[in-house]
Amino acid sequence: MTRSQQAMIAEGLARQGRVAEAVAACHEALAIDERDAATHALLADLLLGEDFYDEAIATATQGIELDPDCSPAYLALGLAYDRRGGMWDQSVLVWHELAEVVPDLVIAHVQLGEAFSAAAFDEEARDSWRRALELDPHQARAHYNLAIDALKREGMPTALPLIRAAGALDPSQDALFFALVGLPDREPSGDVGPDTPREVRYAEAVALARAEDFFGAADVVRTLLDDDPNDAKALALAGFCYLKQEAMNEAMACAVRALADSPELVEGLYVLGTTYAQRPGLAKHAARVFLALAKAAPGEPLTHVLLAEALLGLQRYRQARKAYLAAVALDPACVRARFGLAAVLFSEGAYAEAQWHIRRAAYYDTKRLGTFWELFDRYVEEGSA
Amino acid sequence: MHESEAERLFRAFTGNDPAAAIRVVEQVRSAGVPQSELFDTLYVPAIAMLGEAWARREIDELAFTQAAVVAEQVSSFVMPPLARPDTGVGVVLGVMHRDRHSVMKNIIAGALKESGYRVFDLGVDVRASDFLERVEETGARVVIAFAEMLATARAVEGVRDLLVAEGRADVVLLVCGGPFAADPSLARSVGAQGVISTAQGALDVLERVRRDVLKQEAGR
Repeated sequence: MTRSQQAMIAEGLARQGRVAEAVAACHEALAIDERDAATHALLADLLLGEDFYDEAIATATQGIELDPDCSPAYLALGLAYDRRGGMWDQSVLVWHELAEVVPDLVIAHVQLGEAFSAAAFDEEARDSWRRALELDPHQARAHYNLAIDALKREGMPTALPLIRAAGALDPSQDALFFALVGLPDREPSGDVGPDTPREVRYAEAVALARAEDFFGAADVVRTLLDDDPNDAKALALAGFCYLKQEAMNEAMACAVRALADSPELVEGLYVLGTTYAQRPGLAKHAARVFLALAKAAPGEPLTHVLLAEALLGLQRYRQARKAYLAAVALDPACVRARFGLAAVLFSEGAYAEAQWHIRRAAYYDTKRLGTFWELFDRYVEEGSA
Repeated sequence: MHESEAERLFRAFTGNDPAAAIRVVEQVRSAGVPQSELFDTLYVPAIAMLGEAWARREIDELAFTQAAVVAEQVSSFVMPPLARPDTGVGVVLGVMHRDRHSVMKNIIAGALKESGYRVFDLGVDVRASDFLERVEETGARVVIAFAEMLATARAVEGVRDLLVAEGRADVVLLVCGGPFAADPSLARSVGAQGVISTAQGALDVLERVRRDVLKQEAGR
């Protein structure tokens, strides 16, 4: 595929987030070559981002008509149908096509399931999400959707553990811990010894934990505790490392010890609350700890989500709703909060509003994954090959 | 208060002795500490001691892990009771005949079960006579009829008529569904005593019903 220079310029502008200029460049590129399906797809994605759903639908459709294998156009079209709402039959067809064109694209199966679910084809929706999980067992959104499906069939007691399991797969939960730690993201340097200053060793342990080298992190934490066994931050970090290795009692032991000296240490509260939340009998304990965490770190959306989930465990739907709303207000793209809020709204019979939140979550999640650019690059590359 | 027992539990953890750990738990329980308090008064302090011992290198990594395994074995003995106590109130619920909208019914049934109500779920497409039959079988005090269409919502009147005709006017009839939310007078016109629109609302209303039932039984 030979693309005009103007099309390349449009692509570059879009990648830089210069939407208005990119749209203008797309139109210029299409004036040069109106049969450039990739540029139609790009323009559709840009229009969708600006909430021009009908225009996005028309442009993406043109792209598909020009090339029925234009996967980024299918993505833009499917998302435009979903965002516009009320076009589930078309949406199902588009996601089905995308899953055919790119069979290993997990998100296509997730989206197909969501379109089926919105059209009340529940069995087909479940099959699509299961297919997505066959391709990627850690696909959090497929798990969230199955949790909502379980809610509709069996109620909150069955759904909540599934929501939590999905949350544990969601990278945002680890991100919360590191946000609470408050150190900048950096690679481990690998050159700390027992004589290195405490702060440097702690930062190295955090960097190792962030890189998921939990044994390495534990070794550095050990040197910190050898210097001061009451080092609460080191204990909380050790607790997090144990938590990630599913060693709940060790994590609890470290967190309880850390909080004995520093009762308001947010990382300690996070670790302790998470260990409590994994045991159904400790729902009240989890709610207490996460309430303290949400108060101590009110600017972190996920602290409100964790509180909301604990409140759902206690069947306090109204309070859970409030906590979820606080999380969504802080981060409208928080997928876990949107799905949780949808669950609460289902329990209130507000189905349309619940579906709206699921659609928003889906849009943000697909955007976060960078699926459009992945498909676009693949399509352009295959075309030029 | 239970410091010495917590210490003994901690020693049982580090001694890799689950039997001794369970003995400590049983002794504390027989001394009168309720199940709901064992976790906080006994287990958490012992776990804190374990964390401290590891932090101070009094035990090594292997001993820490082994102790944590023993702690896990004991944890089920100290957990607060999982299920809420049985309220003793039976609730028959189902979606009206010719109506198959089950989502709200399923969510509310799950919430009520979790809160200790004896839920008898008749499913969807339930005839008025089936509600009555199950009330008589189970002695349930509450019926919740779900309807999402105007015609099926109006048919709830048949449930009330049957209950009255069979001398079960004492049964509390509640309704749930879009038509009742849209027209507040509809519930009264079909003879329902209350409208439920959310899972939380169901729990709140059933709590009031439970208190009334208890009061009535105390008055007899």
